[in-house]
Amino acid sequence: MNREELNKNRKLERSEYLNFFTRKRFFFLKRLYSNWLIFKKNKMGLLGVVLLILFGLMALASFLPPLINPMYQPMIGVDPMILGTEGPSSTHWLGTDFMGRDIFSQLLMGARIAFMIGISAALMTVAIGTTFGLLAGYFGKTVDFLLMRFADIILVLPDLLVIIILSAVIGKLSIWNIVVVIALLGWAGTARVIRSQVLTLKERPYVDAAKLAGSHPFGVIHRHIVPNIIPLSLLYMTFRVTSAILVEAALSFLGFGDTSTVSWGMMLQWCWKTGNMFRAPYWLLPPGISISLITLSFYLIGRAMDEIVNPRLRER
Amino acid sequence: MQKYILRRTVEIIVTLFIIITLLFVLFRLAPGDPTSMIIDPKMTPEDIESLREAFGLNDPLWLQYLKYLKNILKGEFGNSFHYAEPVLDIIKEKLLNTILLFTTATILAALAGISLGKFIAWKRGTKIEATITFVGLLLHTIFLPWFALLAIWIFGFKFRWFPINGMLTPEIWLDPTISFFYKILDVIHHMILPLFVLFTIDFSRSMLVMKSSMLDTLREDYIITAKAKGLKEKIIRNKHAARNAMLPVVTSVSLSIAFSINGSAITETVFSWPGLGRELVFAVSNNDYPLAQASFLLISTLVLVANLVADVLYAYLDPRIKY
Repeated sequence: MNREELNKNRKLERSEYLNFFTRKRFFFLKRLYSNWLIFKKNKMGLLGVVLLILFGLMALASFLPPLINPMYQPMIGVDPMILGTEGPSSTHWLGTDFMGRDIFSQLLMGARIAFMIGISAALMTVAIGTTFGLLAGYFGKTVDFLLMRFADIILVLPDLLVIIILSAVIGKLSIWNIVVVIALLGWAGTARVIRSQVLTLKERPYVDAAKLAGSHPFGVIHRHIVPNIIPLSLLYMTFRVTSAILVEAALSFLGFGDTSTVSWGMMLQWCWKTGNMFRAPYWLLPPGISISLITLSFYLIGRAMDEIVNPRLRER
Repeated sequence: MQKYILRRTVEIIVTLFIIITLLFVLFRLAPGDPTSMIIDPKMTPEDIESLREAFGLNDPLWLQYLKYLKNILKGEFGNSFHYAEPVLDIIKEKLLNTILLFTTATILAALAGISLGKFIAWKRGTKIEATITFVGLLLHTIFLPWFALLAIWIFGFKFRWFPINGMLTPEIWLDPTISFFYKILDVIHHMILPLFVLFTIDFSRSMLVMKSSMLDTLREDYIITAKAKGLKEKIIRNKHAARNAMLPVVTSVSLSIAFSINGSAITETVFSWPGLGRELVFAVSNNDYPLAQASFLLISTLVLVANLVADVLYAYLDPRIKY
């Protein structure tokens, strides 16, 4: 073999190497696209996405009103012309609350808070749940027994009431404390599902092969098990987002929330506690509808994703 | 079966023990000690010291813990700060009210959800199915406190069909001339709205679970066999499919009992229903530690027992399950 030929071979090899990588990336995109095709067929899932985009726009728009006029600041902006609650007008699209604050800008701010709470709590919950599920499923025996008994206890605790008790002991909880506690109380369901998935995954031939080749247990988990449970974790994340938003809203509604933030639950509590719920539908309706619809949106997306993860559901 | 019930009971006792211990740790970690609620700035250090002695706060921690366990076993939760009465007497009657509201709602919702879920799964692919499923989804995701407020607003305030708070009308119950039957009717009249709210949320969940489980069952071979035998549709639906499809509903009920109890605390507060959940919310808002602790413990026990009942029911319904 002469030198020229060798060089040519090398080039070919390199290009094939590159080709391999791009092909792999392409494959990933293709898979994403085919999943989207399945998702698209689910009309309810699409409705969920549309709702979610709307709420996302609301959250983004929440930065605008205070820039237009300082009286639109959701917590401290007070319209000097208005003393109490008043119905919708051209300056206040959804009216004002008991202190003369603009309800529309509070509603927008609520969307931002809901996303912050929902997504951060869900990320934490699923991270804890996935880790515990992996450990319990993969290592089995004592680890499994201890973690699952722990999960059983967490599972039967009524989370809202536990947070209320915590706020009795610690005092008023800040919004981030609430998020952390929601995460600590919500991982059990995810951990159980992940564990049962890991139990079947670890019996696969490629896991045996990796073990025989001398991989470290964490190496096996990292390379062969985690990639297979990521879709399931993501699915559970969408469900956890809704429950985090709901728990925070209920907590604020009952008067144990963080009074320095305007969440939708807090708006409802103000309306209810100041005795305006029979008089001010413009105040009572928007936050309730928003909480219900954002829950619906994540729930519908979760159901549509469920059909991708569990192909069995599609055949019906 | 008996063995299984025994095992689950032991598990429940262990869980309760852990919850009790956690409560002890939690309330000891609280900033300030339990006396800080009562201590007056005018008290001398000697007074405070004798108070601490009376509360047993000078004992070593393990002795305090043992005393605490002993008191709970005897049902002594101390005196409520707010009512200045033994906590046990206060929460005993509230417990019954919560059980009345909560079990009625759960049972009715499960029954109704199973029947409607069965029906719409049978009508799969039709307009009726799509409509009912969509309404079910809306009801499933509606925000409970807001739904309760709406119910009060519409049925209690606009139409004035139902009383908007409390459990009974004192004038009726204090009048000796009115017969007991009407007094019971009065309680039912008060109960309808909170029951309706709890029922709707629970019902939509069990309906959705039943529908999806029924759709799975309908694809089984024995359903095809039953059809091939020429059995009546109603018999296939009710006897062959629904019986098997019911099992996941029972599981979902048992998994969501904690969730329902959360819900009943909210509903009780909004409707001023004198139950445990409302008492807990009230106690925490008033820094009434003994009352809060005891009502939380009782609610946890309630959840655990309800879970046990659901599990036993499941074992009873599915003879394939062996314990």
